[in-house]
Amino acid sequence: MGGLKEVLYYMFHPNQLRAIIQWKVWHEPVYQRDPSKEAPTLRSCFEFLNMTSRSFSAVIQELNHDMLVPVALFYLALRGLDTIEDDMTIPVSVKEPMLRDFYKNMKIDGWTFNGNGPDEKDRELLVHFDDVIAEMKKIKPHYYDIIEDITIKMGNGMADYAINAQFLAGVVTIAEYEKYCHYVAGLVGDGLTRLFVAGGHANPALLQRPELTESMGQFLQKVNIIRDVHEDFEDDRRFWPKDIWSKYVDKWEDLFDPKNRTQALHCTSDMVLNALKHADECLLYMAGIKEQSVFNFIAIPQTMAIATLDLVFQNPKIFSSHIKITKGDACQLMTQSTQNLRLVCEVFRKYSRRIAQKNDPRDPHYLEISMALGKIEQFIETLFPSQNVKQVKALHTEKVNDSTSGEFWESLMLVAAVLFFLLLVSALMLGAAWVMGARWDTVLNMGSASSVEEAAKITAKIAHGEL
Amino acid sequence: MVIGGTGFLGHHVVNLILQRYPKSRVSVADRSVDRNRRQPEDGVQYHQIDITQASALSALFGNVRPDVIIHTASPLPQVDVSPTRELYDKVNVHGTRTIIAACRTYDVKALVYCSSASVVCDHTSDVINADESRPRVRGRDQPEYYAESKVCSLPRDAPIMPGAAIDVFDYKQSQAEDLILAANAQHPYLLRTAVIRPSAIIGEGDLMIVPRLIDIYREGKVYFQLGQNKNLFDFTYVQNVAHGHLLAAEALLACSTSGVDNDGKGVDGECFFITNGAPILFWDFARAVWVQAGCAYDIRRVWVLSRFVAMILAFLSEVFFALIGKPATFNRQRVSFSCMTRYYDISKAKARLGYEPLVSLDEGIQRSVKWCLDQEKTKRA
Repeated sequence: MGGLKEVLYYMFHPNQLRAIIQWKVWHEPVYQRDPSKEAPTLRSCFEFLNMTSRSFSAVIQELNHDMLVPVALFYLALRGLDTIEDDMTIPVSVKEPMLRDFYKNMKIDGWTFNGNGPDEKDRELLVHFDDVIAEMKKIKPHYYDIIEDITIKMGNGMADYAINAQFLAGVVTIAEYEKYCHYVAGLVGDGLTRLFVAGGHANPALLQRPELTESMGQFLQKVNIIRDVHEDFEDDRRFWPKDIWSKYVDKWEDLFDPKNRTQALHCTSDMVLNALKHADECLLYMAGIKEQSVFNFIAIPQTMAIATLDLVFQNPKIFSSHIKITKGDACQLMTQSTQNLRLVCEVFRKYSRRIAQKNDPRDPHYLEISMALGKIEQFIETLFPSQNVKQVKALHTEKVNDSTSGEFWESLMLVAAVLFFLLLVSALMLGAAWVMGARWDTVLNMGSASSVEEAAKITAKIAHGEL
Repeated sequence: MVIGGTGFLGHHVVNLILQRYPKSRVSVADRSVDRNRRQPEDGVQYHQIDITQASALSALFGNVRPDVIIHTASPLPQVDVSPTRELYDKVNVHGTRTIIAACRTYDVKALVYCSSASVVCDHTSDVINADESRPRVRGRDQPEYYAESKVCSLPRDAPIMPGAAIDVFDYKQSQAEDLILAANAQHPYLLRTAVIRPSAIIGEGDLMIVPRLIDIYREGKVYFQLGQNKNLFDFTYVQNVAHGHLLAAEALLACSTSGVDNDGKGVDGECFFITNGAPILFWDFARAVWVQAGCAYDIRRVWVLSRFVAMILAFLSEVFFALIGKPATFNRQRVSFSCMTRYYDISKAKARLGYEPLVSLDEGIQRSVKWCLDQEKTKRA
């Protein structure tokens, strides 16, 4: 049944199918890992990577050989922390010190943990964490130091949240919201930027502008938080800051009541506007990446994020179901994100214009959203100007050579030509009808007599004897 | 001294000076001194003068002995009077020349001239994120172009207003710019000069952009959209423009006093685009104004006329009105204007003047609309 549905869907959406085929057939990874040359512990690490992450695993495995293992291990270390933090069967008194000391365990040969609840989905990772630790020992020390530093920071951040009962009731201010995004995404970005710079794959200037890295993480995380609002609501979690939603509804659950649709959409616009402000800094960050496989790795999630932002904007479905961009769109985005910054900018421009088209003047954030989108477009223009001084000069000279007074007569000629063709076509049609024996007399007499009466008169004229 | 200080922009400049430098001595020279006046206790001296009268202007300068001149005077395109080429020539070019001469005679240190961002705009092609290196659309080098350019029916920054000689206006602004810039740092004179080019000014006192949009709302025509609404446009709140002038004046005064020459990073002898730094889709701006004015705008009711179709209709309207001998309110210029991209890169003003908009576009629109609605009320009462 599902298969049939899919076939029907792609029959009516050939572009989607085309994008999928294009990605599957024509995408050639810049680098590919070679499992035959890997140690068993490393192979095991990639199995865990596949197991714990759907979206990141593929892009990580296409990274260049220098970055491949450090980034994968970095991901697994953070995932290990996450697995402890997420598990509600571990009492806080155990959890808090464990999170803070996790980086120490990373240094202990053969350390594993099997205290996770049986339902914890990534339980296996910690049960076999000794494989990750074994591989950590092999990477370059300066890469290890970066991973360790972020693991310490994130462990402490998670521990703070774990003992903070207030946070469990939900985020209140926008500052808290951004702080949360910093811990779950900004820190990851920080670690990645340092790895890329250390490996010579990114411009060291990125380290001088930490706000760019921060925006990368904030943008991704905020978009996810907006999109997952319904899923989180069902799991009894809330990341939308109260300072935003309380402007539109009194109680959090009211946002999901279809009666409050308009209010809920206004609230979403507020959240979207808050996320949009990071977009230009994300583009600037990407301009600092010097290596293709790293560029692909960071650009894909970003274009997915702007497309998701378009998807959730003015979309009431986010409050009743879990929505995602279509597979075809995702494939197209991946194709476009694995080339160059110009194309990624085009994707940003395309989706920001789509957001603009859905912008509703009655929305309280109409103007601000429009301004935020204008800012993105202007920023893209500063990166890739579509007009330059030389072109403009040429344009002016051309204009001068063109006689401007001819404009009026040109337009007149155009209209005359259109009228002439209309008349010509009408004449041809009427002529053809006449040749084929159309009876103008009956058509013209229609007003005075109905065709039935006409027929009666004709039959009346014919003598009965003839029948 | 603010020349044109009772005009739309000029009186905002006066207000900002009084607010920022309460101890300064402010005088205003304008053709008409009855409108937009400050209270007598504010101490502003108002002088009625025609700036094209060299002797009168010189006498005034000798009397007031100003340090700084902010020149905002220019005939504005009016609704039903099309100012002639001669008028622009007289005020923008000849008037500016007179002012420069008077500045030299009386040791004025700083002269800031208000031009227009449309000097780089030929009113048909797009201006995308232009900076000051973009060439102006010049008439002098191409006399044919301007000789044949007809008196079109668009004011300099108002999209929807008939009746003004815009090409000529911008051409004359362009000429005046040359005069101003050439007068910079000409020893032995103390005078330093700069040019501010604002784009589409809105605010209290604006008679062209926001009031015209509100008229459209009153006429119930808000659901016609010309073009695809993909064109970004820079609108600027008037106080930000005034701020730009004052920043330039301060910088000029400093370099005139210190005698330092422009090393390529300075302010004197330079042009600056001034906008709100917030380009916005043309029709989004219009809709924001309408909503602010109380319109319950329903986006689903919008009729989109593509630029092509709109141009044909506008042409037919021009033909029709030409036949009955009236100016067409709906014309091709208007269509072209509302479909045109026109925004600027203001990083030069940010870097060299330290300019940042004081008032956001959001707030600017609110204030402009409120002012217009108040005007309507007083008119009715």
